[in-house]
Amino acid sequence: MKADTSEQQQRAAEKTVTLNVNGQATSVTAMPDTPLLLILRNDLHLNGPKYGCGLGECGACTVIIDGVAARSCVFPLAGAQGREITTLEGIGSRNRPHPVQQAFIDEQAAQCGYCMNGMIMTAKALLDRNPHPTETQVRNELSANLCRCGTHLEILSAVMRAARRQPSTDPVQ
Amino acid sequence: MTQTLPTRDELLAQNGVLLIVDDILPPSGPVAKGGTPTVRPMELGLFIAIDQDSRVYAFNGHVDLGTGIRTSLTQIVAEELDLQMDQVTMILGDTERAPNQGATIASATLQISAIPLRNAAAEARRYLLQQAGQRWAVSVESLVIESGVIKAQDGRELTFGQLLVNQRVELRISGNAPLKRLEDYKLVGQGAARVDIPGKATGELTYVHDMRLPDMLHGRVVRPPYAGYDTGDFVGTSLLDVDESSIAHIPGIVRVVVIRDFVGIVAMREEQAAKAARELKVTWKPWQHGLPDMSDIEQAIRDNPSIQRVVLDQGNVEEALAQASERMPRTYLWPYQIHGSIGPSCGLADYSEDGIRVWSGTQNPHMLRADLAWLLEYPEERIDIIRMEAAGCYGRNCADDVCADAVLLSRAVGRPVRVQLTREQEHAWEPKGTAQLMEVDGGLNADGGIAGYDFSTRYPSNNSPTLALLLTGRVEPVATMFEMGDRTSIPPYDIEHMRVTIHDMAPIVRASWMRGVSALPNTFAHESYIDELAFAAGVDPIEYRLRYLHDERAAELVRATAARADWTPRTQPMQIPEEDGVLRGRGFAYARYIHSKFPGFGAAWAAWVADVAIDKHTGDVSVTRVVIGHDAGMMVNPAGVQHQIHGNVIQSTSRVLKERVTFEESTVASKEWGGYPILTFPEVPKVDVLMMPRQAEPPMGAGESASVPSAAAIANAVYDATGIRFRELPITAERILAALNSAGVESNSQPPQSPKARRSKWLFGSLFAALGAVLGMAATALPWRAEIAPITPPAAGTWSSATLERGRLLAAVGDCAVCHTAPNGASNAGGLAMQTPFGTLYSSNITPDPDTGIGNWSYPAFERAMRDGISRDGKHLYPAFPYTAFRNIEDADMQALYAYLMSQTPVKQVQPANDMRFPFNVRPLMAGWNALYLRKGEVQTQPQQSAQWNRGQYLVNGLGHCAACHSPRDLLGAEKGGTSFLAGGTVDGWEAPALNSLSKAPTPWTEDQLFNYLSSGYSDAHGVAAGPMGPVVTELAKLPKSDVRAIAVYLAALNGPASGSAGIRPETATASTSQPTVSPQSLSNGQRVFEGSCQGCHADGLGPKLFGVSPSLATNTNVHSALPDNLIKVIQQGIDKPATADLGYMPGFKDSLSNTQISDLAAYLRSRFAPNEPQWTGLPEKVAHLKANPGTH
Repeated sequence: MKADTSEQQQRAAEKTVTLNVNGQATSVTAMPDTPLLLILRNDLHLNGPKYGCGLGECGACTVIIDGVAARSCVFPLAGAQGREITTLEGIGSRNRPHPVQQAFIDEQAAQCGYCMNGMIMTAKALLDRNPHPTETQVRNELSANLCRCGTHLEILSAVMRAARRQPSTDPVQ
Repeated sequence: MTQTLPTRDELLAQNGVLLIVDDILPPSGPVAKGGTPTVRPMELGLFIAIDQDSRVYAFNGHVDLGTGIRTSLTQIVAEELDLQMDQVTMILGDTERAPNQGATIASATLQISAIPLRNAAAEARRYLLQQAGQRWAVSVESLVIESGVIKAQDGRELTFGQLLVNQRVELRISGNAPLKRLEDYKLVGQGAARVDIPGKATGELTYVHDMRLPDMLHGRVVRPPYAGYDTGDFVGTSLLDVDESSIAHIPGIVRVVVIRDFVGIVAMREEQAAKAARELKVTWKPWQHGLPDMSDIEQAIRDNPSIQRVVLDQGNVEEALAQASERMPRTYLWPYQIHGSIGPSCGLADYSEDGIRVWSGTQNPHMLRADLAWLLEYPEERIDIIRMEAAGCYGRNCADDVCADAVLLSRAVGRPVRVQLTREQEHAWEPKGTAQLMEVDGGLNADGGIAGYDFSTRYPSNNSPTLALLLTGRVEPVATMFEMGDRTSIPPYDIEHMRVTIHDMAPIVRASWMRGVSALPNTFAHESYIDELAFAAGVDPIEYRLRYLHDERAAELVRATAARADWTPRTQPMQIPEEDGVLRGRGFAYARYIHSKFPGFGAAWAAWVADVAIDKHTGDVSVTRVVIGHDAGMMVNPAGVQHQIHGNVIQSTSRVLKERVTFEESTVASKEWGGYPILTFPEVPKVDVLMMPRQAEPPMGAGESASVPSAAAIANAVYDATGIRFRELPITAERILAALNSAGVESNSQPPQSPKARRSKWLFGSLFAALGAVLGMAATALPWRAEIAPITPPAAGTWSSATLERGRLLAAVGDCAVCHTAPNGASNAGGLAMQTPFGTLYSSNITPDPDTGIGNWSYPAFERAMRDGISRDGKHLYPAFPYTAFRNIEDADMQALYAYLMSQTPVKQVQPANDMRFPFNVRPLMAGWNALYLRKGEVQTQPQQSAQWNRGQYLVNGLGHCAACHSPRDLLGAEKGGTSFLAGGTVDGWEAPALNSLSKAPTPWTEDQLFNYLSSGYSDAHGVAAGPMGPVVTELAKLPKSDVRAIAVYLAALNGPASGSAGIRPETATASTSQPTVSPQSLSNGQRVFEGSCQGCHADGLGPKLFGVSPSLATNTNVHSALPDNLIKVIQQGIDKPATADLGYMPGFKDSLSNTQISDLAAYLRSRFAPNEPQWTGLPEKVAHLKANPGTH
């Protein structure tokens, strides 16, 4: 009897949600409170966004949702339905990097590179909104993206370099 | 991918290959004090392999921790063999491939472990050229190599591979193969683009966190409560019970694995394992006995047993100091710090009886393999550690721990298991960079010379055994003592009378090596002290150092750095004029990092000139610029060296200004970035790097050495700015302000303020006085009401679709589903627990199920329940059900609502029994309550008001039942009327703020703000709807906008004429007379938490634009309320179901922030954002209460 209840509860706990990620629709069945981050990584094999804190504090998991930077570790699957989600993989590739990605490569803006996804995605969202920010604006925009290796100066240079190259065309869009 | 590469044994067995090998003696790893190194047999190490397809593999036993050594080592190999960078496959750290060269520590890869690789490449070059020369019968000198092609002067060409077809050549590193001449270098010494960055920038590089195998399962661990301790008799012996039924509701659980204090969960999906780890009920023994008081780190270190070791004793220190003209004993304290890898550690293990493969981010692959062999009692040679890239680590994080966890879980389930640690686990359990205590006794002679220098240091740290060994009891949790406190313990100055004493000691909390191992703290003392001596002697501190610095290469660096920074000689602090209350200063420090087993050897030389700015009113301190001189000898990749220097400057600045692990109840309380903030972009200084040109000198470990002078340079700059010496880190605003105040430097700190308690809440004390009144009333009221006969549920089609639609909207206005739906339960099937001051109620099933719901209720029964609070069977309903408001519903609406509810899908669901305290568990007494409070009559239309107002009145006071939450209730749980009507109430632990003019909102509510808030759940002038109000707004979204507008019109009118103005209330210009009750330490702690946990979203326009509304706290109603409850509840629980979809989400912090941290945070928010409101009192108790009683919203 008890096992039946558990099984019912377990079944009731999962839902199927349709996601639109990097321009492709896909459906996923999981608990609706599952962080979007885990769905992107484990179900869609998009490893760009990284798990850093699960609390929206460090920014390693940043994706762009409906044009705005979002912390996918605190964004539940249920809330992602019907939204346009873009990950690091969605803006460019090694062979065809997005201008922001290229600027990070040019400036060698990584040590371990674990925070890099968040830096690039947050910077891209900023530059889409404000193509020519001041360095202070870039610093503020990245103020909640943590880097432990101390690559801040190279990252700032990369974002400023990308800004100088604006206007840019997004290879995906 | 690494796993597709050939292994060492495969290459050794291959035909058509050139192998450059050497016998190596694997390092024993660090050795405990008094212990003997484990002597391991000589191994055959493979350094270079070139196959007949011209593939070139190079191997190094160290790993790339984000420092770029993969690139630099590739440069070295490509240089010696005249290859392009991309023609070399560099393999680092894998135990099946790379030679065992010990742990990757002390930035020594290029200085030490690159040497055999370079010699191996030269050996290969010599062999290949000889073969080509023989084949063509020309001299070797006449040949050149270009991009891996050997060319003769007559134009003939051979690739490496063509020389190796069907050959198998194995050569030892002789050490006498000629190395390429410096002037012929094409790659080494040039800036080289890092080979890993394009893949990292595009998400194409596979970190260990990204590694997946077919058939893989996901694991999580549950760590014991003794966070951060790996010694003591409770370690491995504290588990009492694991209740697996507590996670029976979670799908996908495969196994719970328990081995003494090791608890792990394996699940099909990652989120299932994560949820199970959070919810698994685990019971532990009490264990908190005999722990040191970690609120006083200095005393804890002094009390820790130690063995004294004098490593230098020259001249006669005691006699010299006895004769000093000025004796200056000083004590320096370094705090506990963390590596803080941005990615919590992750590991993947695949266990079988034939062999184990582990994908790991370890810094010490060979040590990890030995640990796993010991843990599992398994032959070491059948364990393969595949080293993958991971988040940066600066010593020893949990990378090894998590691999041991993964192996234990994989063994239990017989499938590959990936384990990801949480942020909280990484913070709490990573081996800390230890606190360290340094003491100097010294002084000056009459001539200003150094009389003597008696230095001692205490470094409570060891190698941190892999955690699973201790938790499973495989290794006894006995603290071993290491001799590692001696790094750079001898100052670089030539002082005649000098003694250096190391107090070797075991760790207090789990600690291991972290960047600048003991040298950084030791240098903080040395370089602060000599600065102090210089000023005491009236000599410029750089000039003073140079008098005693007899290493000419060091002196040259010091002079060059001073010149680069335009150093102005000074003999007194505070020479830079103050601007706008900002004090400025600059400080100098120098060090050469001397590391490894004493006496060790030197890495690069480094000197800092740091500039600081201090706001003397707030104490806020920033490092604005650092000029750093660095001499690393030959630089293989100068761009890489500069990048490493930047990283070290920024990270060490962060450590000096901000970083300190906090402890509560002697355990680690810093469990996330709120409890342990690090430097952020706005705080990063400008950095000017001066790299000494020394390409002809051997390479020295670079990077890490750049951090060693940091603390003293910054502390010396703070002294220059303020005239105050800081000998304890971090140098925070709080410490600076306190020091400025006690030093009498003018500041605007606020006078102490006294508490002003204001609290409106249920008063239980008077309950029994009121009881008599209730009983008296009960005698005259009609306690029993007749049952209304059950009916057969009405058939489908009884009501028109228009009626049903009207009913649906009314149900939305009435928020029926908000209370009548349990979490994850069927809509309107009841079962939601509601905590009231009188006990716990469970909402009823209002679906038309005849047995458990309202299926057999006739309309008269329904109407009586709605208007009079009497159930169909005649029982009185508790006034949690807002029938006092529902009396006001018009008949037509009541009928439509009945129609809608009776037309839902019936759900059979029985509710738990209510748990009410006496006398409230006596239902008939509710009759007395009704006699007191149930006002007859419906809402009266007010003809002098607009139709919109009247519609609003009807919705608010009728079906909307706003007053049920937003009016205070009296002692008996009834809504108060009159001026108290809509003056604020409490529901399920949440404060329902006043809707009338008593609102504490800093901005009076306007009609438009109300409309926006009720439509979207957000008003920029007040905040977001949370707790029980969230679902209310969700339901209101179903209403026509005209009805929401009508509600707004009515509520705005309640606030009187002032409500029309949207301006912020004038704040009194002078400091408030209200008095805070919180200590500066609490406020400072709260500020730390705010900056690390909250500010990213709540930055008032100075932070990122993130999805959602990112409300300002300056206008937030909850921060300005008389009660802290809503603020605390939102911090604890977050907002996972926002009222409307675009508001965004807020995580809850109840599991990662301690009660003290949340309490301090609330106090800080109050003092910063509501400075004119009195400080809340009793916050710690309130936080603890709300954590223990989370309610259901």
